[in-house]
Amino acid sequence: MKTHGTVARLHGMLESRKISCTELTKVYLSAVGRDNAALNAYVKTTPETALETARRVDEKIAAGQPLAPLEGIPMTLKDNISTKGIETTCCSRMLRGYVPIYDATVWKILKGQNAVLLGKTNMDEFAMGSTCENSCFGGAGNPRDPGRVAGGSSGGVAAAVVGNLAAYGLGSDTGGSIREPASFCGAVGFKPTYGAVSRYGLVAFASSFDQIGPIAQSVEDAALVYDAVARRDPMDPTSSGSRGAVSPALGKDVRGLKIGIPKEYFDEIRSDVAQALQKAAGVWRSLGAEFVELSMPSVKLGLPIYYILACAEASSNLGRYDGIRYGYCTPHYADRDEMVCRTRSEGFGREVKRRILLGTYVLSAGYYDAYYKKAQNLRGAVVRTFDRAFGECDLMMTPTVPVTAFKKGRKTEDPVENYQTDICTVPINIAGLPAVSLPCGAGKDGLPVGMQLIGPRFSETALLNAAFQYEQAAGEAPYRVDGMGVRL
Amino acid sequence: MVTKQDILKIAELAKLYVSPEELDGLTDELNKMIRFADEVATASAGETSFDTVNGLENVFREDVPRPCSGREEILKNAGSTEDGFFLVRRRR
Repeated sequence: MKTHGTVARLHGMLESRKISCTELTKVYLSAVGRDNAALNAYVKTTPETALETARRVDEKIAAGQPLAPLEGIPMTLKDNISTKGIETTCCSRMLRGYVPIYDATVWKILKGQNAVLLGKTNMDEFAMGSTCENSCFGGAGNPRDPGRVAGGSSGGVAAAVVGNLAAYGLGSDTGGSIREPASFCGAVGFKPTYGAVSRYGLVAFASSFDQIGPIAQSVEDAALVYDAVARRDPMDPTSSGSRGAVSPALGKDVRGLKIGIPKEYFDEIRSDVAQALQKAAGVWRSLGAEFVELSMPSVKLGLPIYYILACAEASSNLGRYDGIRYGYCTPHYADRDEMVCRTRSEGFGREVKRRILLGTYVLSAGYYDAYYKKAQNLRGAVVRTFDRAFGECDLMMTPTVPVTAFKKGRKTEDPVENYQTDICTVPINIAGLPAVSLPCGAGKDGLPVGMQLIGPRFSETALLNAAFQYEQAAGEAPYRVDGMGVRL
Repeated sequence: MVTKQDILKIAELAKLYVSPEELDGLTDELNKMIRFADEVATASAGETSFDTVNGLENVFREDVPRPCSGREEILKNAGSTEDGFFLVRRRR
């Protein structure tokens, strides 16, 4: 079994003392200094923290102590994951200058393993968007073609990982925000089962959908990161933790694996994206997997269900930004009500305001039953549809996004048109399922196409094992752009 | 179909100001979003609420005292404070 893991390779280099952790960290920091201007992946770098951690790792190496799998590995966090003492902005004017006083559980875990944080990465404001262009710092560029968007909302993490400016990163996925940028940039993006990874310290967007997960250069790396952070956390009331380590189980034969093809997902995808998936199907057949056609008409309602519920939750979650306790506060006002309204109107960008307004509308008296309650019931129906479908197959395969990465600045003021990008990813968040996006060839424009594999709740091991087998057979990992960022 | 008046009312509930320049655009965009949401309003749904099928259980903590952030730390991110409290001025 050949390893494509970047994390394992760097871990080996550290343990065999081919490079010290301080040297490795400096190589990454100087690459970020050189190449970040072209990608705008990082919105803040943390060289002092990184080098201080590296020194601790070097002391351990000098003392002959073994290193944990992620120890000393340079990485990044999306800028909505709270880092104590390090500014966390959600790429919103509203939170510029905000310095959390506690760590997100995922960062607490990784910090405990001496993960080397290089900095915080770009995103759509409050994770609302699919291009990363709704960022108050400007969008992130795609390492495969800097004239294209990195995708969103975790665009900065995907750009940093594929551009070799971090070995891996953690993003968040509310409706596709890990998988979509991974698809656009050509990386592995893994959204775990809702509840597997603690949300504590993730700045809330839509709490019943939000989930943290890794973006990495290989399935193997994604599994290592998942294993490190998936724990039951008393600080997150919906946390349930992992059902066992995934990494040690990778490599199991997938002969006889039944892959469901929900035909509704293929109705509106671009023909070259469909062709890339057909080619991928050939790889699966060579591995001994079988295909089962499925019909799941209720997933067609996924987008409106998602936007009603996610906006409703966002309108409530974002109610906390009042300019008093943290974040932006307007400099001039005549009374307290005006202070709150002006603060919010000046602090939030247009997409965030639109979603707060829609959310407020669907929760308001007279509309609650028709929209919010109805969408909740339809959400239940989608869960049951997936449950039934998994009676006929082990996993499902769909495109991650119906298209490849957009050109930058494709401005449209039709929000609904923008939301179509999420058509294949949102049903997974609606049902709380795990799903991974991994590259499967290119579209006619030469840009990466993402294949989405979906599993039943808590099937992380089987899901990532299958993705790993595909990755081995396709032989294209590690997924990164050579000649950019760190060259080791 | 929401009118400009409706948008102003929703914005008031959401504590947002909508400027006269923004009003036309936002009304149009919100109407597009609501037409889209109407696919849900007109669909037939069973009575299976998500709460009953999501397979989640609440995680409770033992009700025991534990260390928490100090007052000074909590006030660190506030724009203005006085005597260990958040300070909200009547006008500025």
